[in-house]
Amino acid sequence: MNSPRSAHEFGAHAVPGQYAATGPQADADTLSLREYATAEPGPVPGPEAASKGGGSGTHRKGGKGAAGAKGAPGRAPGRDRYLDLLRALALLRVVVYHTFGWAWLTLVFPSMGVMFALAGSLMARSLKRPAISVIRGRIRRLLLPLWVYGVVVLSILAVQGWRPTKGDEFWWWARIACWIVPIGAPSFPWEIGSNGGMLEETWAVQAAGPLWYLRAYLWFVLLSPLLLRAFRRLPWATLLAPLALTAVVGTDLVTIPGETGEAITAFGVYGSCWVLGFAHQDGLLRQLPRYVVPSVAPVFMAVGFWWATGHLGPDGWDLNDIPLSNALWSFGFCLLLLHISPSWERLPGVLARFDKPITLANSRAVTLYLWHEIALIATIPIIDVLWNIDAISDSKSLSSLLEGSYAALMFVVIWPLIGLLMAAFGWAEDVAAKRKPRLFPMK
Amino acid sequence: MARAQHKRGKSGRQAANGTAVGTANGAVNGAARGAVGGTAARGRRRTRLPLRYLLPSLLLVAVVAMLLLRGYVHSEFLADHRVRPPASIDNVPEEILSGGPVLDARGEKPISHRVPDHTLVLTFDDGPDPEWTPKVLDKLREHDAHGVFFVTGTMASRYPDLVRRMVQEGHEVGLHTFNHPDLSYQSTSRIDWELSQNQLALQGAAGVRTSLFRPPYSSTADALDDESWPVTQYIAKRGYITTFIDTDTEDWQRPGVGEIMRRATPKKDGDGAIVLMHDSGGDRSQTVAALDKWLPEMAGKGYKFANLTEALKAPSAHTPVSGFERWKGKSWVLAVGVSENAMSFLVVALAIVGVLVFSRFGLMLLLSAIHARKVRKRDFVWGRFPVTEPVSVLVPAYNERECIANTVRSLAASDHPVEVIVIDDGSTDGTADIVEALRLPNVRVVRQANAGKPAALNNGVRHATCELIVMMDGDTVFEPTTVRELVQPFADPSVGAVAGNAKVGNRDSLIGAWQHIEYVMGFNLDRRMYDILRCMPTIPGAVGAFRRTALWRVGGMSDDTLAEDTDVTMALHRDGWRVVYAENARAWTEAPESVQQLWSQRYRWSYGTMQAIWKHRRAVVERGASGRFGRVGLPFVSLFMVFAPLLAPLIDVFLVYGLVFGPSAKTALAWAGVLAIQGVCAAYAFRLDHERMRHLVSLPLQQILYRQLMYVVLLQSWITALTGGRLRWQKLRRTGAVEAAPTSGREKAGAL
Repeated sequence: MNSPRSAHEFGAHAVPGQYAATGPQADADTLSLREYATAEPGPVPGPEAASKGGGSGTHRKGGKGAAGAKGAPGRAPGRDRYLDLLRALALLRVVVYHTFGWAWLTLVFPSMGVMFALAGSLMARSLKRPAISVIRGRIRRLLLPLWVYGVVVLSILAVQGWRPTKGDEFWWWARIACWIVPIGAPSFPWEIGSNGGMLEETWAVQAAGPLWYLRAYLWFVLLSPLLLRAFRRLPWATLLAPLALTAVVGTDLVTIPGETGEAITAFGVYGSCWVLGFAHQDGLLRQLPRYVVPSVAPVFMAVGFWWATGHLGPDGWDLNDIPLSNALWSFGFCLLLLHISPSWERLPGVLARFDKPITLANSRAVTLYLWHEIALIATIPIIDVLWNIDAISDSKSLSSLLEGSYAALMFVVIWPLIGLLMAAFGWAEDVAAKRKPRLFPMK
Repeated sequence: MARAQHKRGKSGRQAANGTAVGTANGAVNGAARGAVGGTAARGRRRTRLPLRYLLPSLLLVAVVAMLLLRGYVHSEFLADHRVRPPASIDNVPEEILSGGPVLDARGEKPISHRVPDHTLVLTFDDGPDPEWTPKVLDKLREHDAHGVFFVTGTMASRYPDLVRRMVQEGHEVGLHTFNHPDLSYQSTSRIDWELSQNQLALQGAAGVRTSLFRPPYSSTADALDDESWPVTQYIAKRGYITTFIDTDTEDWQRPGVGEIMRRATPKKDGDGAIVLMHDSGGDRSQTVAALDKWLPEMAGKGYKFANLTEALKAPSAHTPVSGFERWKGKSWVLAVGVSENAMSFLVVALAIVGVLVFSRFGLMLLLSAIHARKVRKRDFVWGRFPVTEPVSVLVPAYNERECIANTVRSLAASDHPVEVIVIDDGSTDGTADIVEALRLPNVRVVRQANAGKPAALNNGVRHATCELIVMMDGDTVFEPTTVRELVQPFADPSVGAVAGNAKVGNRDSLIGAWQHIEYVMGFNLDRRMYDILRCMPTIPGAVGAFRRTALWRVGGMSDDTLAEDTDVTMALHRDGWRVVYAENARAWTEAPESVQQLWSQRYRWSYGTMQAIWKHRRAVVERGASGRFGRVGLPFVSLFMVFAPLLAPLIDVFLVYGLVFGPSAKTALAWAGVLAIQGVCAAYAFRLDHERMRHLVSLPLQQILYRQLMYVVLLQSWITALTGGRLRWQKLRRTGAVEAAPTSGREKAGAL
């Protein structure tokens, strides 16, 4: 296989060689080689420039602006606008979902999971301070708005004639106590008032709809010191344990009846999201090689989706009726969202235009969440006024057109109502946070 | 499979190279060529650019449309299998319930008709069926009988010839909706749609419209109830005559020939009747056999068999259509026909892909195991003596400021005597200065005006003083043992070139992890297989070694193709050299971090590979070593690198189709099975390379996102080759003639 021509021809212009027999002399560092082979980022709790100071950090729901104590790892006091955006989106999704009743929205954006993940992250951040004071602060911020809400709702119910059940007074009052401390979901009558009144007979069911969230939130807050300790000792087990719990109590395997069952199921469904917040705060996600989360999260979601295909509820793809799917899907979804977590100091591009509404949604999150059902209930009599206009009630096509777009009308009318309710009751959030009450905090 | 590139997208030359595709190598290397070619190319390019995106998207849209159409006429979606339980009959007029089976409710007052005595109207529902309908038609013709066929739109669209035959042989055709839902569950717009689609299919198949209708799941007139009556009224308002039945054979339950005959026969001898039978929906052999016996028997009793309007002595229910309506129907039927055929074609193609993919996996596992066993034997040696002679290492560099110092230092740390030659290809970022500033004793810098990577390598070869030449990239880092491991195979004098083992350094990101998996599989399965089969298509640019003699014989590196490494490797094969794989010669390279960079890198590789295959196509008919490579290696490489990936997206198309239209569970399971096989192959490759398995966690996502990206890149290369690549192909044809005698002095090599 030798060439007939000399190899020298090939290198005719070669510069005289200056190579010396070079052993592994000059122990030159093959640094980048080693970097490639083993590099693993340290536990980087991505420091965030604390460029924004002042009160901007103090109106986060359940968050303490001063939490980023000196030298403590974790986020500096400047608000992460990405998380703010997620919270605003979650709230918007809740309102849209309750207005239009589109079950598939629970897949598109699992709001409650996102809310709990964000709250979990903030909780972990705050728990650098003594647990008791943190919990006290959290509970205060939760209870005061609830009490205001309770006073209004219970007053109306009392006027409508809701009274203790005969012979069961003790439990009735015990459940009423949940309006004060929602260790269980506050009670409500299934039907009240009369048919054809201004309020539908089932309005109380609707008004009490958001309250389970407060119960779950309270549970998570109370258990957080314990959960956080468990998480720091056995991070992965703690992260996945609530999913395992859901697989037991959220399926037909074991059914715990009544309020306790619902509370435990909710704890299981959203527990992993809450602990995921811890993981986000502690930088656990950032310690993983970047390919891991995008590879693993879809697996959780796929399993959740697959489970849902076999266990569709009365509303089809509404994950709220399929606990295990909800848990897995929300977990995978939040995993991806928190993996992306770009830590924005301010909203980029087009989003910047929504800066003020997003800020408002975040500083009035509890009010918005609690009162949006009331606003929704109130839209109906307001829209029905349209039928008092003769032109509409006489024209068959016009009235059927309006009827066809009823949900859309509700969605238009609800926002001014929410604005009104915020102005009327939003102060409770400020007072609970020991701030000066403001009308519409948008800055 | 995996190679490192010379330059990443950020650099000016890469950009030039990227746009150079099809423009006769663009500005960088174009200086040597006529300006005319350049402008002609530019003229072509303007029209071609949108094609690159247009053609793949059109192809995709066409395939999806065909699949949807097929799913549509196979009732795989929009089908509704609910059947309403009986309801009360308070609102159905008494005279309808007790009236005859033919209901004409078009006017103000509904009128029922009965079939006259000694007349039987045979009706066949749910057809036409390709197997049973012809047999039923044969029996009817045999016994001189006419009947009525209530066809569904889906079946009529799929088997238009049978509908035409029904009409031609004197039978009547009626509507039985498009895909057989219980109409009492449907909205009026859906009912309209069911009817119009059914008519459309009839128009296309037989050129007629019909006024006969039978609702799915209907029975005798007295079975009408409050749910079905309004629907019947609605349909009558649209101008249809609804045809219920007198006797039901329930032949779909296959009760036996005798039983079918008994049920078909009217209770009272001599009474007329409308008889319900089925020519579709399963095995209808009993129906056919019953017809064969029953028709003569009843004829013996004085019955005649007429279609409905004959029996009622009414004008025919058929209205011929012409003009636009006829064409509309025809194009519908044609489209369905195409989609049916295309589907069978796609199924065959899928089967071929499946066989190819699986046999490739099998072959890879087998051959790579053989290779690993061979080279890992304790007493394995390439030649009598280990190679210890010094080696020239060529590092072509263009704007490699960030990496070049690491690259050169890693070479200086080599445990084999090396002479490092950095060829600075007109860098503007001071790459050469950085190297010189290192003041390493055995490192030289050669500067040249920007002329492209092949020219830089040829220039480096001219300056090299050793017989063994290692080529690497300016962004690659060697281990201290890499050079020694890489050149050991040269102890075998028949070895002309050696491929090393390129490893992805930045494997922490998702796209990096995917490429890591791809590289590990490419180097540990594909390359071992190619080594055994002696048709290694590529020496990776990141880590490869050549015998200077061999390089010289094939004329050095050429810029004929965008993949000079593949080109030269094929040339070496044709010159009779062995090309082998050295698994322990590891080089760490930086993989593209963005989709765009990856895209342009892979586009260059894949188009370059196609160019190289085309350039060396003559090997197929040549004799000797070249012919051996041309008839074994070249087809093998073409099959798996150029043709099979073209069909592979079918797997994904069918995955989506199966998931959406069912059977979803089976589809998902089959896909998981394929994934598992890939997982096994990947795990084996990782084990061979002593890599940690944890990166395999991103394999499923890789199969869903990354692989498809590679297909699109390959498709784009194909389109470039078939549409705009012509200029380059012509140029290749010219050099191809020279290629026939690779050892003869090449004009191009005169530059050397």
